[in-house]
Amino acid sequence: MWQIVATISPETCVAKRIAIVEDEAAIRDNYVAAFKREGYVVDAYAARGPAMEAFASRLPDLVIIDVNLEDDVEGGFELCRELRSRAADLPIIFLTARDSEFDAVSGLRLGADDYLTKDISLPHLMARIAALFRRLDALARPQGSESRISRGDLEIDTDRMRISWKGQAVGLTLTEFWLVHAMARYPGHVKNRQQLMDAAQAVLDDNTITSHIKRIRRKFAAIDDSFDAIETVYGMGYRWLAD
Amino acid sequence: MSLKRQLLLVSLLVLILPWAGCQFIRETESALREGQQQMLAGTARAVAESLAQYGDEFPSANNSDFMIGDQIYGHPLATAPEIDGYFDDWLLGEASLRELPGADGVIRYVVGVHDAHVYLYVRVVDRSPVYADAQSLVPNPGAPQADRVRLISADPPYLEEFLSFAAEAPGTIVPVRKTDFGFAPEPAVRAYWQDVPRGYQLEARIPARLLGAHLGLEVQNATSREAAGVRSRSFASRSPGRFVTASPALAQVAAGLAQPGMRLIVTDAAGWRIATAGDVSAGAAPQPTVVSTWLRLAYNAFVDAGTGAGFAEPDPGGREQRNYIAAALNGRQESAWFRSPETGRAVVAVAAPVTAEGVIVGAVVVQRGTEAILSLRNETLARLLNVTLITMLAVVVALLGYATLLSRRIRHLSVAAEKALEGDDLHTALPSALAGDEIGDLSRSFSYVLGQLGDYNDYLRTLASKLSHELRTPLAIVTSSLENLEHEQLDETALGYTERAKHGADRLRKILSAMGEASRVEEIMKHAEPEVFDLRDVVAATVEAYRDAWPQRRFAFSATDDAFAVTGSPELVIQLLDKLVDNAVSFSADGDEIGIALSVDTQSRVLPHCRLDVTNPGPPLPQRMRGQMFDSMVSMRAGKDDKHLGLGLYVARLIADGHGGRIEADNVEAGVRFSVFLPTA
Repeated sequence: MWQIVATISPETCVAKRIAIVEDEAAIRDNYVAAFKREGYVVDAYAARGPAMEAFASRLPDLVIIDVNLEDDVEGGFELCRELRSRAADLPIIFLTARDSEFDAVSGLRLGADDYLTKDISLPHLMARIAALFRRLDALARPQGSESRISRGDLEIDTDRMRISWKGQAVGLTLTEFWLVHAMARYPGHVKNRQQLMDAAQAVLDDNTITSHIKRIRRKFAAIDDSFDAIETVYGMGYRWLAD
Repeated sequence: MSLKRQLLLVSLLVLILPWAGCQFIRETESALREGQQQMLAGTARAVAESLAQYGDEFPSANNSDFMIGDQIYGHPLATAPEIDGYFDDWLLGEASLRELPGADGVIRYVVGVHDAHVYLYVRVVDRSPVYADAQSLVPNPGAPQADRVRLISADPPYLEEFLSFAAEAPGTIVPVRKTDFGFAPEPAVRAYWQDVPRGYQLEARIPARLLGAHLGLEVQNATSREAAGVRSRSFASRSPGRFVTASPALAQVAAGLAQPGMRLIVTDAAGWRIATAGDVSAGAAPQPTVVSTWLRLAYNAFVDAGTGAGFAEPDPGGREQRNYIAAALNGRQESAWFRSPETGRAVVAVAAPVTAEGVIVGAVVVQRGTEAILSLRNETLARLLNVTLITMLAVVVALLGYATLLSRRIRHLSVAAEKALEGDDLHTALPSALAGDEIGDLSRSFSYVLGQLGDYNDYLRTLASKLSHELRTPLAIVTSSLENLEHEQLDETALGYTERAKHGADRLRKILSAMGEASRVEEIMKHAEPEVFDLRDVVAATVEAYRDAWPQRRFAFSATDDAFAVTGSPELVIQLLDKLVDNAVSFSADGDEIGIALSVDTQSRVLPHCRLDVTNPGPPLPQRMRGQMFDSMVSMRAGKDDKHLGLGLYVARLIADGHGGRIEADNVEAGVRFSVFLPTA
C-alpha cells in the first residue's frame, strides 16, 4: 500500500490524512499526486480488503471510495457501510463512473457525504474536500454568529455547512448545501442551472440538478409538510421565495 | 398459388385409385374372357370336326365361278307369312331386305323358305305404274310393256325358266311361268300385288319344286305400254347365282351340339348361314343388370370397349361377313368379343373352319354370353367406384381442412411476426412455437431472429449509455492527468497543447454526458413522482426562456382556451420541449419564426390529448428514415453537424412514451412540424 508520509499543510499544522480506495491505478495515482500537491497525507488502496485492514488500525480523516472495486461490484457501498458503522462523523465521498440516480441515492443513503462522478475536475474535488475539512474544523470550534445567514425559518451556518428549518437541522449533502445556500442568499432571484452548478462546484446536467432539487425539497418537507420555499421557474431555474 | 389450392391439386392424385382398380378389374375380366374364349375355341373345334362328316350338306364349293353377290339367300322362316303384299308378318326386319338399283329408286327384296315353299317379297319404287292388260300379261316378244317382276330359276347348265308377275289391278295375281314349252299361268303360285304410294309391293309363295338350284330376280319398270323402261337384275352374270338355303340336317346336328347359353352358327364357304342353333341369352338367367347412368359412364370410360353386342347377332342379310368368320373361312380359327355399351351385355365368339376332305367347306361359329363375368365385374366395379368416391371425398375434405389449418397457422405466424416488428415488441411469443413440425421450427426460427433483432435493438438503445459509462473512466484518467500536468513546469508550447487536450477532453465529456442522458431520463421516469400541472403555464414560461436563449429566432406561442392539465413531470416535459426547440433552431435560419402551439386533440384517442406542436421552417424530413427518426443514434443531419448523435429526438420520444403519449413528425407547408400528444389528467 502507498503509505505516504505527511507533508505539512499550509492551513493546519497537522496534515489531514485522506484514504482513497480506487481500483483504477492511473486515476488513483493522479488523485494521489493531486492530494499530495495540496499537502494532504494520502493512503491509497486498490481493494476493499487491504483498505479495511489498514482502517482497523487507524482511521483517516476523509475517505474517497469508488463504488466498483475490481471484482467486487458493490464493494464501495459495503466499505462505506462498514466505515460508517465505526465512525459516524468520518467524511466519506463516493467517486465513481456510475452516474445512475439509483446508485447516487443508494450511496447517500449509506451515509456518504457526497456522491461525485468521475467527471468532476480536480480543482472542484479539492474545493469539496477543503469544504468538508472546513466543516469538520468548524464543528470543533464554538459556534460564531458571523457565519450565519437567516432567511425567515431558514438558518444557514456556512462554517459548519449546516442548515436548519424552523429550528430543526436538515441533513443535506455538500452539494445540496451549496445549492440551497446559492438560492437562499438572494431570495427572489432566479438561479439558473449554470449558476447552481457553479455554486455546487460540480458539473451537473439538467436532470441531476432536478434530482438534487427534488431531494432537497423532500428533505425539507420531512420536517415541514407545508414547505414550498423553492420555486421552479420553468425554462429558467429555481429561486428561493422570500417570505 | 395458395397452399390450399396446391394441396387440392395434389389430392387429385387420388384419382389414380379408381384408375388402378379399373385396371385390375379389366385385367381380371380379360383373363376370365380369355379362359372362356379358349373353352369356346375347344368347343368350336369339336363342333367343326363333327360337322366335317356332313360335308355333303355344305353347298359344294366348286360353283365358285358364280359371283357371291349373285347368290340369293333363302331365309329360314319360322312361320308362313300371309300372302297379302305386306312384309310385317315375315318377322325378319327391314335389315334383311336386299337392295337393287331401280329406275325410280331402290328396289328391296327378300326370299324366305318355309316348309317346302319359297316366299318372295319385292318392294319397288315406281313413279309410273304401268299395269298389264290381257295382251301384256304374258310377256310374249312383241307384246306391250308393263311393270313386271320376274323370278328366274335355273339349274345350270341345263334349264332356265322364269315366273313373271304382272298385275292388271292390285290384288291377288296369277304369275305366268315360262318353261321350255312356252308360257302358262301357274296357279300353284300364290301372289299378291299391293299398290303403295310411289310404287308397289309384291308378295308370293312358290312351291319349292317349281324352282331350280339357282335363283334370280328381275324387275322391269316400264314407263308406258310402249317403252320397256329399265330392267333391274339381282345378278350380274349371264345366269342367276345359287339359291342358298338352310340345311335342316345341319340345323339338327347343330341343335344337338349346342349347349345352353351358346349359339352355334354354321356357314358355307361363302359365309352364307346354313344352320343356327341355340341362343346366347338362353339358359343363363337373363341378368337384369340395373346399371346406373354414372356407373355405366365410368364403365365405358374404364373398361375395354368391345364391338357392339349387336354385331354378334346373326347377319340379317344371311351372310356372315364379320372378320373373325371371314378368317375362319380362310382356314384360321379366330375369336372375337362383343359388348353392348347400353346394357353391358357381352358376347364371346369363336369361329372355326369346317374342313371336309381337305377343303374348307364352311365355318362354325360358337357364341356365348358372358353374363357371369359381367355381373361379377359390375358388382366389383360398383363397389370399387363407391369406395373410391367416398375415399376421394374424404381425402379431399381432409386435405382441404388440413391445408386450411396449415395456411391459417402460417398466416397467424406471419401476422404475429409483422405485429411484433411493428409494435417493437420483439421478444413476444409467436404462435405454433411449441409445435413439433416445420411450422413450429419456422416459428422458433422467427422467434429467434426476432429475439436477436430485439436484443440488437436493445443493445443499440443501451449502447449510448453503456459507451458513456465505459468511456467515463478513461476520460477521467485523461482529465485528471491533464489537470496534474498543469501544475508541472511547462513551457508555452506544452501549455498550449495541454490547453487543447483539455478542451478536447471537455468536449468528449459533453458528448458522453449526452449519450448517457437517455438512460438517466429513463431512470428518472421510473422513480418520478408524477404531479398534475398546467402545460400552458409551463410551456409559456419556457418559451419566454427560449426568447432569451435564442434572440436571433422569433418564437410564436399560441394556445387554445382549453384546459391543459397533464400528469407527469414538468421538468421532463420541458426537457422534451428543449429537444424539439433545439432541433427546430438548428434546422432554421436567423430571423425564422418557430411556432409553438398548444391545442386539445379529441379525434384519435378515447382520452382527449394535449397536443403540442413545434413548427419550424427548414428542409423537409427525408422520407427514407421516417420510421426510425425517434430511434436511438439515428440522425437525419447530413454531415452538417457532427456533434449530433441522434439522441435528442430519442430522449424526446422516451419522455413522450413515459407520459403515456406519443410523438410524431410531419412535413407541413411551413416546414417541419413535430407534434407531441400527452394524455390530459
